[in-house]
Amino acid sequence: MEAVKRRSGPNPFNGVSPVANSLINIFFTIYSLCCILPLVLIVMVSLSNEQDILTMGYSFIPNRIDLTAYEFLLEDWRQILRSYGVTFFVTVVGTLISLIVMSLYAYPISRTDFPQRKFFTFFIFFTMLFNGGLVPWYLVYVQMLELRNNIWALILPLIVSAFFVLIIRTFFQQTIPSAVLESAKIDGAGELRIFFQIVMPLSLPVLATVALFSTLNYWNDWFLSLVFITDDKTLSIQYLMYKTLLNIQFMASNSNAVAAISAAGGVVSYPNETVRMAMAIVGIGPIVFAYPFFQKYFVKGLTVGAVKG
Amino acid sequence: MALVRNMKKYWVFYVMMLPGAAFLILNNYIPMLGVLIAFKSVNYEIGMLKSPWVGLDNFQYLFKTTDAWIITRNTILYNAAFIVLNLVVPVAFAIFLNEMRNKFFAKVHQTILFLPYFLSMVVVSYLVYGFLHDTHGFVNTTVMKSFGLEPVQWYFQKEVWPYLLPLVNTWKNVGYYAVIYLAAVIGFDDEYYEAATIDGASKWQQIKSITIPLLVPMMIIMTLLQIGRIFYADFGLFFQVPRESGPLFPVTNVIDTYVYRTFIALGDVGLSSAAGLYQSICGFILVFVSNWVVRRIDKDKALF
Amino acid sequence: MVQMRKKRFSAIIVMLVAMLLFSACSGGKSAGGANDTTGGDQATNAAESAEPQASKPAAGASDLKPYELKLVYTGAPQADEKKVEEAMNTYLTEKINATIDIAPIDWGPWEDKLNLMIASREKVDVVFTAQWQKYAVNVAKGAFKDLGPLLESHGQGIVESLDPAFLEGSKIDGKNYGVPTNKELAAQGGIIYRKDIAEELGIDMTQVITIADLDAVFKAVKDGKPGMTPLYLKEGETFNSHYLGNYDALGDTSIPGMILKDSDSTKVVPSYELPRYVDTLKITREFYKKGYINSDAATNQTMNTDAMKAGNVFAMTSSLKPGKYAEIENQTGLIGKLAQIPLNEKTIATSETAGAMLAVSTTSGDPERAMMFINLLHTDKYLNNLLNFGIEGDHYEKASEEIIKPTDNTKSYSPGAAWMLGSQFLNYVWESEDPDKWAQYKEFNQNAKVSPGLGFVFNSDSVKAEVGAIVNVDSQYLIALETGSVDVDKVLPEYIEKLKAAGIDKIIEEKQTQFDKFLASK
Repeated sequence: MEAVKRRSGPNPFNGVSPVANSLINIFFTIYSLCCILPLVLIVMVSLSNEQDILTMGYSFIPNRIDLTAYEFLLEDWRQILRSYGVTFFVTVVGTLISLIVMSLYAYPISRTDFPQRKFFTFFIFFTMLFNGGLVPWYLVYVQMLELRNNIWALILPLIVSAFFVLIIRTFFQQTIPSAVLESAKIDGAGELRIFFQIVMPLSLPVLATVALFSTLNYWNDWFLSLVFITDDKTLSIQYLMYKTLLNIQFMASNSNAVAAISAAGGVVSYPNETVRMAMAIVGIGPIVFAYPFFQKYFVKGLTVGAVKG
Repeated sequence: MALVRNMKKYWVFYVMMLPGAAFLILNNYIPMLGVLIAFKSVNYEIGMLKSPWVGLDNFQYLFKTTDAWIITRNTILYNAAFIVLNLVVPVAFAIFLNEMRNKFFAKVHQTILFLPYFLSMVVVSYLVYGFLHDTHGFVNTTVMKSFGLEPVQWYFQKEVWPYLLPLVNTWKNVGYYAVIYLAAVIGFDDEYYEAATIDGASKWQQIKSITIPLLVPMMIIMTLLQIGRIFYADFGLFFQVPRESGPLFPVTNVIDTYVYRTFIALGDVGLSSAAGLYQSICGFILVFVSNWVVRRIDKDKALF
Repeated sequence: MVQMRKKRFSAIIVMLVAMLLFSACSGGKSAGGANDTTGGDQATNAAESAEPQASKPAAGASDLKPYELKLVYTGAPQADEKKVEEAMNTYLTEKINATIDIAPIDWGPWEDKLNLMIASREKVDVVFTAQWQKYAVNVAKGAFKDLGPLLESHGQGIVESLDPAFLEGSKIDGKNYGVPTNKELAAQGGIIYRKDIAEELGIDMTQVITIADLDAVFKAVKDGKPGMTPLYLKEGETFNSHYLGNYDALGDTSIPGMILKDSDSTKVVPSYELPRYVDTLKITREFYKKGYINSDAATNQTMNTDAMKAGNVFAMTSSLKPGKYAEIENQTGLIGKLAQIPLNEKTIATSETAGAMLAVSTTSGDPERAMMFINLLHTDKYLNNLLNFGIEGDHYEKASEEIIKPTDNTKSYSPGAAWMLGSQFLNYVWESEDPDKWAQYKEFNQNAKVSPGLGFVFNSDSVKAEVGAIVNVDSQYLIALETGSVDVDKVLPEYIEKLKAAGIDKIIEEKQTQFDKFLASK
């Protein structure tokens, strides 16, 4: 009976007042506009004529619609499709593995009866503070693991994030009532069974959150492709789109080099602003739907009532 | 002996942590030996280990400038502001979104809030430039004009940027942090609230005396985690968004941009390695102190 | 409890050290001959064996073991790279029994990737480098081989065809670590402007000899075409850019302390002590205040060629050589509408002689073969054009012996990297270009003033800390000052004060000491 009530949403007598509710609504509507309008602007710029942008600046309503930017990008459609495929694979496999590995690590350090939990918490937290720099890290992957040009080089480095592990740990500590664990133990359940059958289902919201973040990490990553991949077959979509932005950043921070290149006879050119915006759109691509997908797991643990009886 | 007994009793836990721990050793702890680079003048032909030691020479440039104080201050103050904003705003957002009566709208808003997070800082810098450009930026052509004000060269106005940068940072990240708190709020047991309703507590009282106290552990962890990185600035935000505009340096120059410019000019890994070590050690000390303070107040809420 | 924790800590440390040792060993072996020790040994062997071979006639291809050369330069990877590699392989196998792996890296990732490549001792053979590309830094890191003996044994074609100023002007501590591209040697700076607009407004451009003369021109443009920006400036492209001011920074241009290329003085001074520099700052500021310069010059990242392309810019600064305007016309689509005016004396300095080079990596498995390959790029017309323009009949067609025209498939292979690879005087000329291009380049190289600093590259190792601080001061003030965006009288003293506080005097002193030593040794 209780469970049914809980699932049917908040108690109608236990909500904010209608006035407050409409104030909240108005606030979020305005704020949402602030978030979505810049994105609309990017789309509009990507559909604008380049000369208009250079002479008049950005505009929400393009003077004339111009698809050159997308035509330019889609010339390379085979590579784009392939890279979407690479990124999709990396994102799905990576997120699954990392979710399992991270929650397996987070559970023991969330258990107050585990004497070594402080040490292992510190062991993982320490990695957030110190790092040995790019070069030694690169050597581990390239020389020890020999992962150059290997798709696992895009997956492995992002498997464990100390930040996420500590979030999961805190959540476990907070929301899994120790009474539940004890009653399970009394029933003779092993730690692994408790973990998979009780703790995990109870933690859906945080697992969904971390899965979402992990998905974004994999999707948005371009750096791993930059350092490990030279082969077009394994390029991620983000790198494919981002590398021109990298070229631009290089030019912007190396004005001496630009002058030198042009003096030496080289031509420095990079795509114009409409193409850059189109690239941003292609790079974001399907991932904007990730949030609604994970959102449906933002539900209360259904078994709380069941375990408690 | 105690260890063996401990291992016996908790062997399942050790097995569970094994993949994660192995990863950390491989991905983090082995490369940490690279901090040696900070004390060396590297010559790859003779190898990193045999390269000559240079003591603290690589650290010198960090303190060579009269701006050493300014960049450190900027880094810490901005990050402190970000920590506070990333705490207060997302928590408020999470609570309000949770209280919204129309669940469909709540979900739509959550999704939209998240959108800015997808944009890379380079693209964000174009957007800001689109707004603040002196001749065809939206602010000068529309806002200032409608108030009858003269156009302003925003990229030369250093008074504005200490507010602008936190604004951009919050706008970009609020969705991300709000999700964490939202996941926590959803996880809270309804029984607390039902009991409170029966006692006649208003919604605001419930938020104040149930939701927020329950969120405190998560808030503490998030804050501690961010304090550990308080000496690291968001490079994209401080490098791309102000567009390297010189007159803004007193309010936009941070440790990371300073180090980057040096690296571009000198290409010396020893120097950037030294900077990283300096940032890590300072962050480490700060975290230790804050954690100690937390532990004094409430032992269970401390990180370690 | 405490003791137990200590024990565990030491156990972890032992484990870490063990893993490190393991990684060091296996890392070495796994790279398969490309590792530190054997790579180094091979290199020394090769250098030793180079001596006796030098006296013999060049060994025939059949005496050589097959070897794959890896060539790394910067540019966009090309779709038909494999095809061209195959064609090159056929030819190279016959010539030097080698095959090739072309590995271009885009500009954006170039710096990161090159650094990692060098740090991980990846096996590569021929690498592009340049004075503005941390040539000196990478030499100091031990990335490139000393080419002296190799040039003697397998680079005779290079030594014979290259103007001696090139090899002389690209030495570090008396040794060559890179083979410069054979191309124009002299440099000049000026502006590129819209010829059509000048004609329309009846402006007499022949009167323009110095920067100050442009005042009247820009005024006429501003009055005649109110929507037009008379002069487009941005970071690195100003009247005080080194190509216009003839400033010789004696190495990396981001390190202060310079001499004038067009003077004989060998006194190293900071920029602000040069009257030419300060006067130019003032003129630029004057122009800015009069509205001749784009008001966003200090923050705009749009390339000047793109700004020209948009059609509302009258002029931009540029380094010049014969036919530069035509190159810009092609880039901007303003065919027949541009012209160029030099605004200084043409000079020869290290920035040109060491402006584009090919180096041999210390990780090369066969440095001799690498040198043979570079030698071919400097002497073999077929190979050079194959690498630069692709396959005849596929990526280009011949219009005449020396002139080529594009095909439908040109876009699949057009690396645009000829300025990095070998001798430009061997290159075919596109139909759209001046057929006399190379003759003009040769002529351009004549009668240029040689900078007193030619062949000297400053080693900043002993003043790293000061340089690190200075580059930050420069980013804060330089762009704003040089684009005229800020008041010179007010900001320049502030800039000087900051430079002094950051230790500019120490750098100048060190530069002067090194430079004097170089001059004495000459």
